[in-house]
Amino acid sequence: MEKVVIIRYAEIHLKGKNRGYFERVFSVNLEKALKGIRHELRRMSGRYLVAAFAEEDADEILSRVARVFGVHSYSLGYLVDNDMESLLAAAKLVCPQSGTFKVDTHRGDKKYPLTSMQLNAEVGAKLIEAFPALTVDVHAPQGYVYLDIRDGGKALVFGTFEEGANGMPVGTSGRGLLLISGGIDSPVAGYMMAKRGMNVEYLHFHSYPYTNEQAKDKVVSLARILSRYTGSNSLMTVSVTHIQEEIHKKCAAELNVTLLRRFMFRIAERLAKRTGAQCLITGESLGQVASQTIEGMTSSGAVVTLPVLRPLVGFDKEEIIVRAKKIGTFDTSVLPYEDCCTVFLPEFPAIKPKLSFIEEEEQKLDVESLVAEAIGTMERIGF
Amino acid sequence: MIYLDNAATTRPLSGAVAEAERYLTEEYFNPSARYHGGAEVSRMLSRARDFLLRAVADPADFELIFTSCGTEADNQAIFSAARRGNAVTTAGEHAAVFESYKTLKNRGVEPRFAPIRADGSVDADALVSLVDEKTTLVSVVHVNNETGAVNDIAAIAKRVKAKNPRAVFLSDGVQAFGKLPFRLTKEIDFYAVSAHKIGGIKGTGALIRRKGCTVLAPYVIGGGQESGMRSGTENTFGIAAFFHAAEEKFSSLRVDGERLKGYREQLWEMLDHSIFTRISPENGSPYILTVSAKGLRGEILQRELWDRGVAVGTGSACSSKKPFSRVIEACGYGEDTLYGVIRMSFSPATTEQEIRNAAQTINACARERKENV
Repeated sequence: MEKVVIIRYAEIHLKGKNRGYFERVFSVNLEKALKGIRHELRRMSGRYLVAAFAEEDADEILSRVARVFGVHSYSLGYLVDNDMESLLAAAKLVCPQSGTFKVDTHRGDKKYPLTSMQLNAEVGAKLIEAFPALTVDVHAPQGYVYLDIRDGGKALVFGTFEEGANGMPVGTSGRGLLLISGGIDSPVAGYMMAKRGMNVEYLHFHSYPYTNEQAKDKVVSLARILSRYTGSNSLMTVSVTHIQEEIHKKCAAELNVTLLRRFMFRIAERLAKRTGAQCLITGESLGQVASQTIEGMTSSGAVVTLPVLRPLVGFDKEEIIVRAKKIGTFDTSVLPYEDCCTVFLPEFPAIKPKLSFIEEEEQKLDVESLVAEAIGTMERIGF
Repeated sequence: MIYLDNAATTRPLSGAVAEAERYLTEEYFNPSARYHGGAEVSRMLSRARDFLLRAVADPADFELIFTSCGTEADNQAIFSAARRGNAVTTAGEHAAVFESYKTLKNRGVEPRFAPIRADGSVDADALVSLVDEKTTLVSVVHVNNETGAVNDIAAIAKRVKAKNPRAVFLSDGVQAFGKLPFRLTKEIDFYAVSAHKIGGIKGTGALIRRKGCTVLAPYVIGGGQESGMRSGTENTFGIAAFFHAAEEKFSSLRVDGERLKGYREQLWEMLDHSIFTRISPENGSPYILTVSAKGLRGEILQRELWDRGVAVGTGSACSSKKPFSRVIEACGYGEDTLYGVIRMSFSPATTEQEIRNAAQTINACARERKENV
């Protein structure tokens, strides 16, 4: 009998001919997640097993497995020979000792001499013998004993199913560049794209000395939390101070934010091409602030050719907050290091800026050299 | 680096660090230990206590309890003395007092805040008028940490006691101790001080209390150190450093004060008066000059100055909804002044050359900022 973590995967089985590729990436991601913990990762038709780990590492393994995209569910259980004695020994370990329960058998090996029903009945009866305080309830039991009869004379025995992170293995859906601020939304946007299998890189814009170093450190913390899911381990930062000053001096005040966002997108696209990212990702949600109207999104999207993915576009703030809390970024996002960008905030930002007006105002600026100058300030912070 | 943020913290004196190191590496014994090493450390604590107390008070009437910081000293006095009724303080207090007062409501004590004047000093008449027969505690900061304004705590305490002799009087002396010449008078019950503002190290403070005032209750309970008023093994290395720093500061207190007052005025004269407005009063602490660059942001100026080798303080932090200082706001200034506040604070180690260079850099920085925004 061997203690194992049983991992079932999510959508990979849908992927027909590409299945091998998805499974390879998935197992690499699992190995990456379990780095630093002694273990063996094994394939077993339609499942992965983590085995050969120290008892005290079990909880840590479970919490790391829970964060790997592509994991549909996982269980802590036992790998045993499929004879009755071994099944029963393991069943006793996962079974509740009182209350109601039910044995639920899945027979992967159809040649097994007993049917599922017979196994349920026989193991159930012996468990009641062992634990007299137990009673069977097949409709709404308080506890379960799952028997999973596999090929090769083996079986898996476990008592619970934990829901995994679902989604697709990170790395199977290309690479995106997340525009990450210190707020609540952008980390959630990054999480959602990673969940769909995307490798997510991070880019943060700051305006030091208008913004402070603590604000930047906060973004590093957020990226570090996200990296538990996304796998990336560095953050690019770019200063847009000079751009903001130029816009402030030369352009119509109500377009400050609109124009700045166009610069951010231009810079992001160039850096995306450098890092091999195939799209930009933002935390924009329709109508949330003045720059996140459809007109605002159109005007910023107009300066780039890469697709801009906005996974939160249809979400309410409340829905985003719920996710941020679940991911673990919320508490960091609400730390009070808001920037001094408000120096540049117009009293009445344009809510529906016209593209022709924007372009006219933008002609007052040397766009190309400002973009190049900003890219020159790029720093990469590893973590 | 020209360091002009000495009111936030000041560089520990090398002699103080050496003393701390001695009590960390050689004389590391527990002062409660009943062998020679312990007794020696215990004697050092007595000498330190005696010196620090004598520097500002008569040991016949006052005693000193070591704490972990000025904030702890303030808190212990406030939460011991504030009883049902009301407690009076000023709008110009340090957060250690101000925030503590705000929580008194939960204990059934009504906090009352007296207004301050434009320079940050308390309006004493208004304060005294808030005191009535139900007042259990009155707190007045000695030197306003944001403007440098000095409150005449002896006179104020006298007026408070004349109106209600039972009211306990506390003063936060963190920015005054080791910097201003003064003696505690018998109307002052508690006085809170800190080591790291005068060249000691962080994590060491003290509460001085008048012996006749019996309201003090311990906050930290345990082995009965500090006469049972503050248990926990004493921070011997911090106290040794505090002792050393105080010896040095008090020995040249008047000379340093005169010189720094000259520097403060020199710095003010050199600053571009078309940009900067002065907030600190001339009769305030020689250690603090607070000004405002109207229309600019103090915090931004502060970071730019740091990048050019000058460290200054600011009352503002862009973190809250009101990104400026509560105290300067209470002085009655409008938003354009509030945003632009920077505080230059000195130490006896500050040199005239530093003052001149700092003034030039501050002017240059502010002028450039004016052009950009």
